Amino acid sequence: MSGRLAEVRRLHRARPRRRFVTRSVAVLALIIGLSWLGGDFQATELLGSRQQVNAARFLSELRPWPLQQPGAPDTLPAQLTVAVRWFGRMWQQKGAAAVATTLAISLVAILLSGVAGGLLSLPAARNFAVPQPFLPGGRRPSRVRIWLWRAVFGLTRGLLTVVRAVPEYIWAFLLLAVLGPTVWPLILALALHNTGSLGKLTADVIENVDPRVPRALRGAGAGRLAIVGAALVPLCLPRFLLYFFYRWEICVRESTVLGMLGIASLGFWIVDARARTHYDEMLFFVICGMALVLLGDLVSAAVRHVVRRA
Amino acid sequence: MNLERFAGPRAGLPVGSRLGSVGVMGLILAALALAGVWAAWHLRLDPGDLVPGQGGWRLARDFLGRALRPAWQFEGPYQGHGTDSLPWQALRAAVATVVFAATSLSLALVGGVVLGFLGSTSLMGRPAVVVPARLLANLLRAVHELIWAVLLLAALGRGHLVAVIAIALPYAGTLAKIFAEMMDETPADAACALELAGATPVQRFLYGILPRALPDMTAYVFYRFECALRSAAVLGFFGFPTLGYYLAASFENLYYGEVWTYLYVLLGVILAVDWWSGRLRRELAT
Repeated sequence: MSGRLAEVRRLHRARPRRRFVTRSVAVLALIIGLSWLGGDFQATELLGSRQQVNAARFLSELRPWPLQQPGAPDTLPAQLTVAVRWFGRMWQQKGAAAVATTLAISLVAILLSGVAGGLLSLPAARNFAVPQPFLPGGRRPSRVRIWLWRAVFGLTRGLLTVVRAVPEYIWAFLLLAVLGPTVWPLILALALHNTGSLGKLTADVIENVDPRVPRALRGAGAGRLAIVGAALVPLCLPRFLLYFFYRWEICVRESTVLGMLGIASLGFWIVDARARTHYDEMLFFVICGMALVLLGDLVSAAVRHVVRRA
Repeated sequence: MNLERFAGPRAGLPVGSRLGSVGVMGLILAALALAGVWAAWHLRLDPGDLVPGQGGWRLARDFLGRALRPAWQFEGPYQGHGTDSLPWQALRAAVATVVFAATSLSLALVGGVVLGFLGSTSLMGRPAVVVPARLLANLLRAVHELIWAVLLLAALGRGHLVAVIAIALPYAGTLAKIFAEMMDETPADAACALELAGATPVQRFLYGILPRALPDMTAYVFYRFECALRSAAVLGFFGFPTLGYYLAASFENLYYGEVWTYLYVLLGVILAVDWWSGRLRRELAT
C-alpha cells in the first residue's frame, strides 16, 4: 500500500510544470496587489453618507416618470399598468428607432470586417504568403520573392495586430473628427477593430487547413485564385462563420455605447437622458441595449449551433 | 511513409466539411446579405459621406503628419500635473490604466469564479442554481462597461472605485459565462471514475474537472486582462486619469503630437500584454 502511495508521490513530483505559466500567474498577482496598494482608492467613494443619499435619490428616480408624480397609483398592479404603458410610449417615440439604428450599425460593421478580414487573412497565413503555396518540391523560388512574401506576411500581421489593439471607442473618436457627424465613423471604428480580430483568427484557420486538398489542386495546375476558391473558402468557411458570429456578439455590445460620442443611437440617448437627469429614460435605454445584446447572443448561439452541426 | 495522414486531428477542420452543408452555409450567407441591405437602407448609408470635407482633410493631414513625430514636450501652455514632462505624464497615465485594469480584473475574477462555478452543470447541476447564476452572468455582461460607468457615476458621483466596479461587473459576467462553458466542456471520464470510486461531488469537481479546465481558464484570464486595459483606457473619456483622458484632451486642443505619444504608449502596453497572453496560450496548449 505504502509503495503505491510513494509511486503516486513520485508521479506528482514528476508532473510537467511550466515555469513560464507559474511565473506569469505570479507576476499578474503581483501587478494586482501593487495596483490595489498604489491606486488612489477610498472606500468613502462608495459608502460615504453623501453617496448613500445620492444613491437613494438616484434609485427613486429610476421609476417611470408618471409613477413619481403626486397622484400616482399606490397598488402594485395599477403601478405596473402605468409603467408598461409608459414603456410602450417610450418604445414608440425613441426606443425602436434607437435599437434599429444600433443593430444596423453593428451589422454593416461586422459585414465590412468580414469581407476585409477574410481578404487580409490570406496574406497573413504562413502557408499561403509564400512564393509557391502548397507546392512541395519544384523549382526553388528566388531569394527576392521569398523576402517579398515574408514582408507581405509581416506587414499584414502587423496591421491586423495594430488595428485590433486600438479600442473601438478611440477609433470612433478619431474618425468622427475627420469624417464629421455621420454613422460612418462608428461603423468604421467597429469594422477596423473586428477586421484585426477576424483577420487574425481566419489566418490561423487557413494555417491549420488540411494541406492535401490545396496540394492536389496545385498539382493539377491550379493558381492562387483557384486554390482560394476551390479549397480554402469551402474548407475554412464554417469555422470563419463561427468566429464571424462570435465577433458580431461583441460588435452589438460595443455599438450600444459608441453613440455616446454624439451619434443618435442607444449610447447617445443614454448620455442625453443622463445629462437631462431623466434617470427613468436612461434606464429605459439601458434596458433596450441589454435586450438587444441578449437577443444578439441568442441569434448568434443558434446560428453557431447550426454551423457546428452542418 | 505518409505522414500527412497524421496531420488530421490538429488540422481542426472537420466542422461542416460535408457536401450537404453547402445549403446551410448558402442560407446563412444569403441571410447576412439581406441583413446588410436592410441595415444600409435603415441608416441611409451614403458612400459620399465617406469623403471628408475640407476641414476633415486638413485635420487628417495634420494628424497623420505627426504620426512619425510624436511629441516629447507639451505642445501648449498647459503643463499637465505640476512640472511633469510629457513622457513622464504619459507613463503616469499608462500606470493608471494598468492599475484600473488590474484591480477591476481581480474583482471580476472573484465574481466570475463564484458565478461560473454556480452556473456550471458539473459542480451542482441543480437547475435552481444553474439557471439564476447564468441569467445573472448574462445580465451583467449585457450592459457595457461604459454604460455601467454612466449608471454608477449618476448614482454615486465621481470616484476611482466607481470606474473599477464599472469594469468589474460586466467582466465578472463574461468570466462566469466562459468559465462555466469551459468546465462543462471538460471530458467527464475522470470525474465519472472518481464518482464510481466513491468521491463526493466536491471531490469529483476539485480533482476530476477543475485541473483539466484550469489551463484554458488561466489563458482566458490573461486575454481578459488585455481587454480590461482597453476598457480602462477608454474610461478616461469619462474623466478618469487613464490614457484616454489625456488622449482626448490633447486631441481636442489640436496637439496632435501629444495624441500620438499617448497612442504609442497605449499601443505599447496593449501589445506587450497581447504578446504575453499569446505566449502563455501557446505554452498552455502544448
